[in-house]
Amino acid sequence: MSPGPRRIAEPRPVRVRADGAGVPLEVDGRAVDAVRESWLIEDRWWTERPLRRRYWEIVTVCGRNVVVFRELEERRWYRQR
Amino acid sequence: MTPTVTGCNDSRGVRVDGDRRSCEHVFAMTYVELHCHSAYSFLDGASRPEELAAAAVNRGHGALALTDHDSLSGAMEFAQAAKALGLRAIHGAEVTLGDGRHLTLLVRDASGWRSLCRLLTRAHAHTRDGRGRDRADPAVSLDDVEAHREGLVCLSGCARSGVRDEPTMRRLLGIFGRDAFRVELQRPLARHDRALNRGLAGLAERLGVATVATGNAHAHTPARARLQDAFVAIREHTTLDASEPLRRGNHAHVLTTPQAMAARFADHPEAVAESGRLAETLTFDLATDLGYSYPGAADPAAGHTLAEICQARFEDRYPAGSTYRAEARIRLEEELRVIDSLGLAGFFVLHHDILELAREIAVQVRGRDSARASLPPGRGRGSSVSSIVCHLTGLSHVDPIESKLQLGRFVHEDLKALPDIDLDFPREIREQLIPRVHEVYGDEHSALVAAFPTYRARGAIRELGKALGLPPGEIERVARGSAGWSSRDVDRDIDSALGERRRTGRWAWLVQLAREAYGLPRHLSQHSGGMIVATRPLIDCVPLVPAAMEGRRIAQWDKDSCADAGFLKIDLLGLGMLSAVERCVDHIAARRGEVVDLSRIPLDDKPTYECIQNADTTGVFQIESRAQMGSLRRTRPKDLAEITIQVAIVRPGPIVGGAVNPYIERRQRLNADEHFEIPYLHPSLEEPLRDTLGTIIFQDQVLEVAQAFAGFSVGEAEGLRRAMSRKRSEEAIEAEHQRFVEGAIRTHPGVTKELAEEVFAMVAGFSGFGFPKAHGVAFGLLAYQSTYLRVHFGPEFLCALLDEQPMGFYPPDALVHEAQRRGIAVLAPDVNASEVGCTVTAEGAVRVGLGYVLGARADEVAVLVEARRAGGPFRSLEDLASRAGAGRAALEKLAWSGACDALAGGDRRVALWQLGVTAPGTSVRGREGVQLALALDLPAAPQLQPLSAWEAMVADYATTGLTASTHPIGLLRPRLRAAGAVDVGALEHLPHGARVRVGGLVIARQRPETAKGITFLLLEDEHGTVNVIVSPQIYERERLTVRTEPLAVVDGRLERHASAGGAINIVARSVTRLEVDDRVTARVEDFALITGLAGDAHAVELARRAGLQQPAASGSEELAATGTDDFRAVAPPVMNFGAGRRR
Repeated sequence: MSPGPRRIAEPRPVRVRADGAGVPLEVDGRAVDAVRESWLIEDRWWTERPLRRRYWEIVTVCGRNVVVFRELEERRWYRQR
Repeated sequence: MTPTVTGCNDSRGVRVDGDRRSCEHVFAMTYVELHCHSAYSFLDGASRPEELAAAAVNRGHGALALTDHDSLSGAMEFAQAAKALGLRAIHGAEVTLGDGRHLTLLVRDASGWRSLCRLLTRAHAHTRDGRGRDRADPAVSLDDVEAHREGLVCLSGCARSGVRDEPTMRRLLGIFGRDAFRVELQRPLARHDRALNRGLAGLAERLGVATVATGNAHAHTPARARLQDAFVAIREHTTLDASEPLRRGNHAHVLTTPQAMAARFADHPEAVAESGRLAETLTFDLATDLGYSYPGAADPAAGHTLAEICQARFEDRYPAGSTYRAEARIRLEEELRVIDSLGLAGFFVLHHDILELAREIAVQVRGRDSARASLPPGRGRGSSVSSIVCHLTGLSHVDPIESKLQLGRFVHEDLKALPDIDLDFPREIREQLIPRVHEVYGDEHSALVAAFPTYRARGAIRELGKALGLPPGEIERVARGSAGWSSRDVDRDIDSALGERRRTGRWAWLVQLAREAYGLPRHLSQHSGGMIVATRPLIDCVPLVPAAMEGRRIAQWDKDSCADAGFLKIDLLGLGMLSAVERCVDHIAARRGEVVDLSRIPLDDKPTYECIQNADTTGVFQIESRAQMGSLRRTRPKDLAEITIQVAIVRPGPIVGGAVNPYIERRQRLNADEHFEIPYLHPSLEEPLRDTLGTIIFQDQVLEVAQAFAGFSVGEAEGLRRAMSRKRSEEAIEAEHQRFVEGAIRTHPGVTKELAEEVFAMVAGFSGFGFPKAHGVAFGLLAYQSTYLRVHFGPEFLCALLDEQPMGFYPPDALVHEAQRRGIAVLAPDVNASEVGCTVTAEGAVRVGLGYVLGARADEVAVLVEARRAGGPFRSLEDLASRAGAGRAALEKLAWSGACDALAGGDRRVALWQLGVTAPGTSVRGREGVQLALALDLPAAPQLQPLSAWEAMVADYATTGLTASTHPIGLLRPRLRAAGAVDVGALEHLPHGARVRVGGLVIARQRPETAKGITFLLLEDEHGTVNVIVSPQIYERERLTVRTEPLAVVDGRLERHASAGGAINIVARSVTRLEVDDRVTARVEDFALITGLAGDAHAVELARRAGLQQPAASGSEELAATGTDDFRAVAPPVMNFGAGRRR
């Protein structure tokens, strides 16, 4: 039996340490080497599930390119990729 | 203040916003916002310029640039607001290129302002070239930009639509040079914008051009950023849910602090610093550097010319021996001296020239020998009527000396802005005058003034509701039930239409968004008549855009901005009543061979005053409305001075100021006892308030009271009036308040603080809209003249009113019924008797014109009338179809309106049926005449059920908007009687307090803001009209009925007070829909029988069945077939809650 449609690239909770301004310093225990991009999503405010996320595309010290975001309403970090 | 941040690029070319403290280089820089949109970007900006200016100051900005899309509409408002707040205003615009890309252009100096105005005029030049002159998007080419580069600084445009490619950048660099071209960097916190900025910065380095950081602000608060999201959906005709890719995705476009912006651009500190440096070089100040003057302003001989014009007329108007000659001479010399000292002679000469232009046009329009040739081409309204110079130059028809008008606020030595001269013209003269002014002064030197309609409740509910994806049916219910004024009270509209359960979710957002949208400009439209003219090309001062009507151009500024710019604005207003009066004079001459010269009619005509005093004024100018009638019965005006007060009294100023009741009461006591002494609050008020019995009714009295009581100078008093009218600010009024009270105590020894406060309360209460006395005199005279015509030339006056619609308070239907009650016969349209317009027959009946038939085009009707004139009356329907030159659609409308009844044995269904099978002749385009159709014999119509009286009445309304036969309530009378209802005529014999039931056609619904929630309905039946008072409780309970039902039954209490002049009102206990429920229910027909028959047998069978049906139809009397729903669909549009006439 088919499991039905499956969401891909579903965000997973991630452990992030950030500075006072919210810039990630460490993702899953690995230090952040550089921030490549950062963007902000504030949308669907008129629905019952408004979206407010700050995204960060970072490179960790081991050279990994990771996208994490902070869910600004529930104040939790997720990893997108 | 100077926000200081630090930052630099690191070696990898990537930046971490947070680690700037580790950098070695330190820059001190000031961020200035150079890219900001206001609501004048229309649906791409959600704050007013003054809100942006105030927010900028609060957030620590020292300067701010306003760069709306292809528009400078908000520039003057912004400049004025910024100046008041101590913010340096920078001007510019984001222009759209032909390929949709944007460039940000900023004004460096006065030449830059000229360039930008010309460039934007060019951008809009072809926006009305398409079919139907629908508005297209403005655009310019790079060549246009090059031609207008002088004095402008160019930024490469926004992150989404700016220029990014190297060839275009090089072209722009070539045009503007290093000095005036910058690569624009934005950080909208979107994905990839850092990469984009890195690319742009690299390109800038290769070109050797500096980068500059901008914020592209679109709102001043987060709440407005949400509104901006909704605007995007509205602009793209979609919903918020569906417009995600089109929106900005976040609210980073809210105007924020310079520090926050500098932090956002930590990667590009040099671009932040450049914004401050560049701003320093943009020195243009719109408030002072515009350089406008009007034609004749600099003419040294203008004073002489003006004196000559006045002198030439003086001898005519005040011949030797006339009573007022000496006084007029002194007044004229004084006025000319003041005008000369203010340097305004050219201004008056210019107005005189325009009036002369109007005079030429009037001769063309009216014809040299017409009966109305003696009428002036136009007449003044407003405060200018108080000037003898205006009187002598023809700008006003009222003699200010005879009418005892003080010059006061119109022209005085402390005058700071140009005075207003408003001129009223009959519509057809105004139509031609505007293009002629363009022609005479040149397209580039004259323009119409713009107006910016703002969001009102209904529009906000519909547009924002759609953007939120709310159910269309419910949106429409809320919108239709809305009180229609302020979009701030949408919650009440939703509650009453849908119930309180809709207070959450998207409906709650609708309430919030509508509240935010309140007062924001929606689009650019045309002011009702203001024109500006200039000596230097206007397109150097303000961009001009083509109007919807060909040959007209509109400036991008509204009247306030034009006034702030010091533009000379001439108001050329169309006044329907002037056209109607002209038409009436023509009709009188045509029928009676009598020429009525309105300037010579007796001003003490007894029958005219009787009508006015008994409020028998339906259709006349100004004093015809429900509220005016109520007040007329109480004040019973007996001369022009009292009519002048009458036209001014039903206005927000006197009503809120509490002048109405004291005035009426004192007038009544004075009418009863001429020795009654008027109570004045202070002896110094007696002089200014004598005519109005101690109350403030005219605007000028505010000034006079301030002078007489508080010792203000003319200029100070004018300052007080201004503080109280336009864009009122609490602080300004408070400051005036203090000065007023102190001034009064200082000027008059006996005045206590309490008394001074009491007088000020009276003055402050007036702060709403009110008439200057001079305006009242001008309008009062026209009110008298129109009543005179109505009394002595009833049919002609009605005929003129019908042809000048829409105008006035009552729909044509109500005018017709009222005239019928006065014994004037009104005849329905008839193809063999009617002209295009309405006419008066030799016997004095009014024949409705064929032009009244909706759906029959004006040109078709004209050809029909022409064909009848050429070939004699139509003899049959075949003849009509063959010769009339009207299309089948028009012929069918004519048939259904009853205009062909005489040719079809009085049966509309037969006419409709037969015309439906003809092949009509067609008019030949470009030539006079009709391509005749073969006049074939039409087959006889089958046996059709005759139209019932109710159906005929519904057909009348559906085709002409009125019925000249039986009143709908007359048709319903038997059932109303059975239900215990009385007619309006019978109310007169009932005592005060009686319980009554009345059914009627609603001909006006009003809920004045000043009436504390009371709603007024005006009901009409076949005997007259009666005013119904609906309390807020009943209104809320039966809101839908009150707001929408054309036929209503009111149960209530009859009120008749002697103090109200015996006028009858009904205070409603309930308002219900008047049901007409006799509908034809479906019948099962057996066609099997008929299909078996042929030819004559077929007809015989149909006739037999028709015969069988007859008894059933007559059982339901005249009402058969249709009910109130059908009537509602065709009911005449009436005055509806301040929203003009609607159904």
